[in-house]
Amino acid sequence: MIKSRTFVYIISAIFLLSLALAAYLLLRPAPGRVAEIRSDGVLIRSVDLDLVRKPERLTVTSEWGENVVLIEPGRICVESADCPDGVCVASGWLDGAAPIVCLPHRLVITLTGGGSDVDAVTG
Amino acid sequence: MWTRLRGDGMELRRLIRDSVLAAAALAIFVVELHLPDLVPIPGVKLGLANIVTLITLYALSPWDALAVLTVRVLLGALFSGNMMALLYSAAGGLLAFFVMAALRPFTSTRQLWAVSALAAIAHNLGQIAAAILVTSTPSLLVYLPVLAVSGVITGLFTGFAAQFALPRIKKVLKDGK
Repeated sequence: MIKSRTFVYIISAIFLLSLALAAYLLLRPAPGRVAEIRSDGVLIRSVDLDLVRKPERLTVTSEWGENVVLIEPGRICVESADCPDGVCVASGWLDGAAPIVCLPHRLVITLTGGGSDVDAVTG
Repeated sequence: MWTRLRGDGMELRRLIRDSVLAAAALAIFVVELHLPDLVPIPGVKLGLANIVTLITLYALSPWDALAVLTVRVLLGALFSGNMMALLYSAAGGLLAFFVMAALRPFTSTRQLWAVSALAAIAHNLGQIAAAILVTSTPSLLVYLPVLAVSGVITGLFTGFAAQFALPRIKKVLKDGK
């Protein structure tokens, strides 16, 4: 028999460690301003959000379904989707290090630094 | 469950009993589908159907629990119309099952909360691993701590639910003789 106290220690340790890690990972600023849209692991489009001048809708169609990605100056989100859960739409605007994910359609949008052209934006 | 039905009716009784448990798990699963999402984070959910898996594991045997789990996961994906989710829930469900089955010999029926919390974390681990493989996006790993936090909370909740229900359901299952 494992003592209940042992479980309390293990579970508390996992909980506190995860909480700290989650806070750190999700609250830290995004690594860059380049949004990468991937479907099934394949890069569909890479957009520097600071260079976007007018809003644009990008429809990503895969064999599993359709997601409409809204790209606006400085920000990006999934506007609508025909996936069963709609988590990607509910995620709202992409900010921070946590990517927008549509698991049913294998769609992922991440923010990255996009290489060395970070300084070029200010030029 | 997969063995041929013997003449004494024991196997038939077991088949029916496990079927009823699977049906109960499936009903709980479908009801939970209709509850609004608590937070818009992929993979976060209550996992109420695991109450049935836990109860089956402790009232009956690991084999019964695995049978109930398998039927629920397969039919659940079918009923929800979300076949993609089958991959994630199968990976998570199996990993969670292994954790629960491994802990069973070392735990009492008053420790279901702990088993459930650890199983929930295992479930999320399996889910994330499947998602990373499927989408080939290693950065999904940033969700692991978030899912672990939610897993502890929801796992404790469903674990206590199973723990309080177990003595009553065990009585029904035994009296069915």
